[in-house]
Amino acid sequence: MKQVVVHPERCVGCMQCMLACATAHSRSLTLLAAVQETPQPKPRIHVGAGRFNEGFPNRCRHCDPAPCQTACLAGAIYRRDSVDTVMINPDRCINCASCAMACPYGVIRFHEDPLGPSGHAIAVKCDNCSARVAKGQTPACVEICKAGALTYEEMDAAMRRKTRDVSRSMSTDADQPTIPAGVALLKSIKQSELQLSGS
Amino acid sequence: MKHVIIGNGIAGVCAAEAIRLLDVKADITLIGDETFPPYSRPMISHVLDGSQPHGKLPIRSEHFYDDQKITPLLGRRAGGIDVANRQVLLADDTRIDFDRLLIAAGADPRPLRAEGLYLKNIFYMRTQDHAKQQVAALDGARRAVVLGGGLVGFKAAYGLLKRGLAVTMLITSGYPLSMQVDETAGRMILDELVRHGLTVEVGVSVCAFEGNGSVQAAVTDAGTRLTCDMVIIGKGVLPACRFIPGAQIEVDLGVVVDEHLQTRAPGIYAAGDVAEMVDIARGCPWVNALWPEAACQGRVAGMNMAGRPVAYPGSLSRNIMRVFDLDVLTVGNANPNKDSGCRVLKAGGAAQQYYRRLVLKDDVLVGAVMINRIEQGGVLRSLIENRIPIRLPPERLMTPGFNFGQLLI
Amino acid sequence: MFDPRESLSVTQDGDRLFAKAQQDGVETVWERHEAQQPQCGFCYMGLSCRICIMGPCRVDPFGEGPQTGVCGADADIIVARNLCRMIAAGAASHSDHGRDLVEVLAGVADGSAIGYKIRDEGKLRRLAEEYGVATEDKEPLAIAGELAQAMMEDYGMRQKAVKMVARAPKKRQAVWEKFGLTPRGIDRETSEMMHRTHMGVDNNWQSLLLQAMRNSLSDGWGGSMIATEVSDILFGVPTPRPTTVNAGVLKEDQVNIVVHGHNPVVSEMVSKACLSKDLVDLAKAKGAGGINLVGVCCTGNELLMRRGIAMAGNHLMTELILSTGAVDMMIVDYQCIMPSLGKVAACYHTRMVSTSDKAKFPHMEHHEFHPHNAEKKAVEVVRAAVENYVNRGKVLIPVASQEAVGGFSVEAIVGALGGTPEPLIEAIKAGKIRGAVGIVGCNNPKIKHDYGHVTLTRRLIENDILVVDTGCVAVATAKAGFKVPAAADMAGAGLKAICKALGIPPVLHMGSCVDNVRILVLVSALADALGVDISDLPVAGSAPEWYSEKAVTIGTYFVASGVTTHLGPMPPITGSMNVVNLLTSGLEDVVGATFSVEPDPEKAAVFLRRTIEGKRKALGLDVRNVE
Repeated sequence: MKQVVVHPERCVGCMQCMLACATAHSRSLTLLAAVQETPQPKPRIHVGAGRFNEGFPNRCRHCDPAPCQTACLAGAIYRRDSVDTVMINPDRCINCASCAMACPYGVIRFHEDPLGPSGHAIAVKCDNCSARVAKGQTPACVEICKAGALTYEEMDAAMRRKTRDVSRSMSTDADQPTIPAGVALLKSIKQSELQLSGS
Repeated sequence: MKHVIIGNGIAGVCAAEAIRLLDVKADITLIGDETFPPYSRPMISHVLDGSQPHGKLPIRSEHFYDDQKITPLLGRRAGGIDVANRQVLLADDTRIDFDRLLIAAGADPRPLRAEGLYLKNIFYMRTQDHAKQQVAALDGARRAVVLGGGLVGFKAAYGLLKRGLAVTMLITSGYPLSMQVDETAGRMILDELVRHGLTVEVGVSVCAFEGNGSVQAAVTDAGTRLTCDMVIIGKGVLPACRFIPGAQIEVDLGVVVDEHLQTRAPGIYAAGDVAEMVDIARGCPWVNALWPEAACQGRVAGMNMAGRPVAYPGSLSRNIMRVFDLDVLTVGNANPNKDSGCRVLKAGGAAQQYYRRLVLKDDVLVGAVMINRIEQGGVLRSLIENRIPIRLPPERLMTPGFNFGQLLI
Repeated sequence: MFDPRESLSVTQDGDRLFAKAQQDGVETVWERHEAQQPQCGFCYMGLSCRICIMGPCRVDPFGEGPQTGVCGADADIIVARNLCRMIAAGAASHSDHGRDLVEVLAGVADGSAIGYKIRDEGKLRRLAEEYGVATEDKEPLAIAGELAQAMMEDYGMRQKAVKMVARAPKKRQAVWEKFGLTPRGIDRETSEMMHRTHMGVDNNWQSLLLQAMRNSLSDGWGGSMIATEVSDILFGVPTPRPTTVNAGVLKEDQVNIVVHGHNPVVSEMVSKACLSKDLVDLAKAKGAGGINLVGVCCTGNELLMRRGIAMAGNHLMTELILSTGAVDMMIVDYQCIMPSLGKVAACYHTRMVSTSDKAKFPHMEHHEFHPHNAEKKAVEVVRAAVENYVNRGKVLIPVASQEAVGGFSVEAIVGALGGTPEPLIEAIKAGKIRGAVGIVGCNNPKIKHDYGHVTLTRRLIENDILVVDTGCVAVATAKAGFKVPAAADMAGAGLKAICKALGIPPVLHMGSCVDNVRILVLVSALADALGVDISDLPVAGSAPEWYSEKAVTIGTYFVASGVTTHLGPMPPITGSMNVVNLLTSGLEDVVGATFSVEPDPEKAAVFLRRTIEGKRKALGLDVRNVE
């Protein structure tokens, strides 16, 4: 079964995935209208800054077993095996944030959701774009990423590709560096700046 | 294999589920003194404060025992354990055989020594029944006294404040939640409650209650009278160990277990509020009577009982609560001794309506207190629980932008 | 609202005032920079394009996503276009500043610019001659009027070359002619740059960058040079004079007025108003000892150069000095004024006043200055500042001020050398002074505040390289104590001896950012004296902590004029290695100078020393080994 695979080394920190994710979880399903909705939809993928201010796309890993599911006081978190997705039932959630305390990745947020009960905050996290996938689309974050940091594939295929890339980069005949020169240059400048600042 | 589980709280329930997952044929008997379906104990404070209906408490269906093929013995309390003959004695002298036994009897509220405890509208706060009675007593109640500033007392006071009662909370330390938070955070939390109308008295004990059928006043050691029509006693819990034979099964603060949650008696395990094991953050034996702990311990105990030797690294204190405009998250040891060699980092304070405190021992995080912006609390908890050496400047953990990505080197 | 790094600045007042700002709940540029992380890599690499609405577009640097915009522009074109627009914006800013001065000059001529006058008639006449305006038997005001008209011509399309191109060495002018870099008109080049970067115009990345160099030269030898020269005419040519710097220049017992921005058109009038007896008496009546005028950023530098008025801080200090609680009013005109200032001031009693019709800000009161009313308006706002003195709350002035010497115009430097550049040239030939570096530019939260400026300066003077500086850098080095004669002791033996003999510090404050043109004039004079091109001189430039578009333009006109220039922060060009290679190496064959990028000032010092020793070798002078 395909799943969203994250390649953090490709993330340029543009945050488009966040915009697409929020839009995909709005009522109107277009960016400009979604921004106007009340309550505003919010992203379930969060691009944070890494150690050297590189982008890092942080999303739910749909762990099995899921610590959030074990910790949930209200029994609102469950696993849908057919789509390998951990879901939060918005009607059972009591907004106690026990799940956030359990999540080792910090991907759960609390707010009113356009598609949830109105008037109060609930726990919200990635749902693997189940609605889109059911319609034959790919998850919104994958569709919009132009840097190849988010892909939608079988894990086996992704791992095979990664193995191939690593072994190619080890070869002395490697014609193309795994990281393009311009990217590496900017990255080293940014690292240098941060190290000089004492971070 | 005959498995018997004493206690149908979350530890017992998770243990039963774990056993069933690993052994379809196992014989599982679950003894519990509450007849209500397995429910979320922490949620009773949400029922008290009015944000959740009583009906939302159950977290397993009424068919739970049937579905899992568990033999329930409800409304019964354990009276003793015959270790040699491998039998549990119930209070009515019934004997239940076991091959494997899990003691998940939980904890009971620490009883108060005072006169007049028989008066109506004086409550402990532990069970769904307590919550039901408290909610029923709200009608007509205007002033409440809460004894205790720990987790239970604090949540009781908050709940009653949210219900619009005038509340006086009697605490021993200078600030509530003194086991979980440091003074700065404690004061911020206290100020928030006071801002919403709480009256606090420090160092005052109650020796008696007065009233005519129902409570009308609490009397302190100093002789003062606090008018009230409702009292909630939250002065901690004591592991329910009285039925346990201390000669064969070591009992200290709670039932002592090893890393497989097994007691000194082979084949007898303990999990949940009743169990004592090493505390990851403190590095010494401790009882962490907390819901997520009980759930995890129950699961691991069940796996071990079903023949899968799984080690549990130890328990860890952690709490999260929303208190009016403050979200408070605590993990591990927030108040190390001065000579423990710990380093403390702090940021924020009352003026910023935001606070973060980290306690480090060498390069490992052992404690955290967060007030507001708690979304990354789980990342910190995971660092503490897994004792991961912090390889970045620890100040980074305090920044608004801290996220999991910064842990990847 | 906190930053866990131990220290954000190499300066004491920077650190202490940052701590105060935190305590007071004031948000600063550092928190906002942190909140922006991660900054978008498409944009940081120059690979995003918003020039037309067939877009917006971006190019995937990893080669898998789109490789061209909708119009078909590839990474080279997109990166080049973006850089070109930065240079156009920088050139426009400097040149508009010059334009405002020309307007005042014209206003002085026709009497409409009340309160302004010709201060240096000699310079007026010399400049008029350069512009082909006859000066014999003519009154200064008449000359001024004609000169203003002639300078306005420089802005348009009627000329083959901006007049002051003629100041450059002949060899340099020939290089410009050869590559089509001679700037024809100040506004013209900016306008053409904007035209060329429109979708579907110039789609050759080299050609775009050549126009960008021409555009930068229209600033360096055009707009900025006009700004500096006309400022000298109207307000005086700077001469060396003592001053003080850092937050300690604010006085607890006086009315503190801070001028911020760039154009002396405004700050000179404010300075005059602060001397008015009526207003000083009013201040005393309010309980203050007097009126204390200080500056930040370039307009402060202009006042420092000409009047010795103190400087409270540079770019990253502008918010922090407000958190002293001691500023009764900050008066701003344009450029480098953070829109956050009004919000910061609102946390204290400080009144914020904007003065330019071109520059309005949130939470500031607008009192518009024009040449015809500036004198009057200045008195009004200074009076309001004095009235505000009684509203002060708690004040924290966390340091004592530092002495410094400023005012090193080219005329002053040549004067200090005894009337000709010969002594400097002899010192360079003899190797006592290895060469000179102009350290210029701004601050940037990406680099620890003033760390780049101070470290680089220290390393260079230790190695007998004379440093001249402007803008934010000049404040940084003054704060660090490099601008007192005693600082010669920090220099290497050769430089120390020269400085002591001449009674000058080893680091010479040459002025504001438009005054970078003074460096162009100086190197031209040196090149002419040696009979070589600027690119042959043992000189180099550096902007260790730059942030602004203006800085890109300055760096570009330095390089186009033959001065190899180091940059601390990386410009948004890494999306095209072709562009990177052209700027950092290819330009050597075009203009005899290149850019280099290195955030670490220690490494930058080594690079600059090597560059200088390389030039010395080519000139047949003695060479030192640089490890």
